[in-house]
Amino acid sequence: MNESLFTPFITPTVLGLPAAVLVILFPPLLIPTSKHFINNRLIIIQQWLIRLILKQMMTTHNAKGRTWSLMLTSLIIFIASTNLLGLLPYSFTPTTQLSMNLAMAIPLWASTVAMGLRFKAKITLTHLLPQGTPTPLIPMLIIIETVSLFIQPLALAVRLTANITAGHLLMYLIGSSALAMLAINLPLTLITLTILTLLTILETAIALIQAYVFTLLVSLYLHDNS
Amino acid sequence: MPQLNTTTWPTIITPMLLALFLITQLKLLNSHLHPPTPPKFTKPKLHAKPWGPKWTKVYLPHSLPPQY
Repeated sequence: MNESLFTPFITPTVLGLPAAVLVILFPPLLIPTSKHFINNRLIIIQQWLIRLILKQMMTTHNAKGRTWSLMLTSLIIFIASTNLLGLLPYSFTPTTQLSMNLAMAIPLWASTVAMGLRFKAKITLTHLLPQGTPTPLIPMLIIIETVSLFIQPLALAVRLTANITAGHLLMYLIGSSALAMLAINLPLTLITLTILTLLTILETAIALIQAYVFTLLVSLYLHDNS
Repeated sequence: MPQLNTTTWPTIITPMLLALFLITQLKLLNSHLHPPTPPKFTKPKLHAKPWGPKWTKVYLPHSLPPQY
């Protein structure tokens, strides 16, 4: 039994050395690169997926937005593989660390805002005021829109952290309760069913990744193309 | 909450920056995503001219290796 409920979320160290470095650097190893024209099935499936992701994400952007395609594709692949590997028992999920999500969210959001301000300064500033607002409300609304703009990176980071952490915690709690009830011999099927459905619902970790990249996409789109 | 323990933050952020901005992107750049081939237009075939230059094998009985 773990000392506290949050023990799976402590940065793993092995004899004082940070094993978290290896855990974070591991998922890219599962995606082999190949320069051959004809590959094995794994590479074909992965490349098909990458092409699908690229197409789905980048068609809504203009030429300038498409320069971000490498960044966004690598982002979604990184978060997806990391989250899926975290579903294995006794694994460490780096995306549960607020540090990592903040370090992902803040630079990406800041660069979209910087891009918007650099190339379309007036349009970006006029986004702060929705159309058709009555005149007395204007100062208050500008403040509200600025706050909502600055809360975007924080929301991105905390959303990912909280969702993954909560999912893992829930799985752990239900699993340990099922184990405890095994001795009392309550209907076992109900419990295993709960765990199973929870796991499949937790495969909406993938949906979360979609949510991450899509919200990022939305902000990029808004700042870039208006 | 262990996520708020800021002493481990650089340990997590540095490999994340490496993995995301370096390794994954290099992988994607080096994996050639070959697009499906467009339909090929073959040139119209010319009828075979019997006097055209082509390779013919000459069966000379003495030039062949001995066959058993």
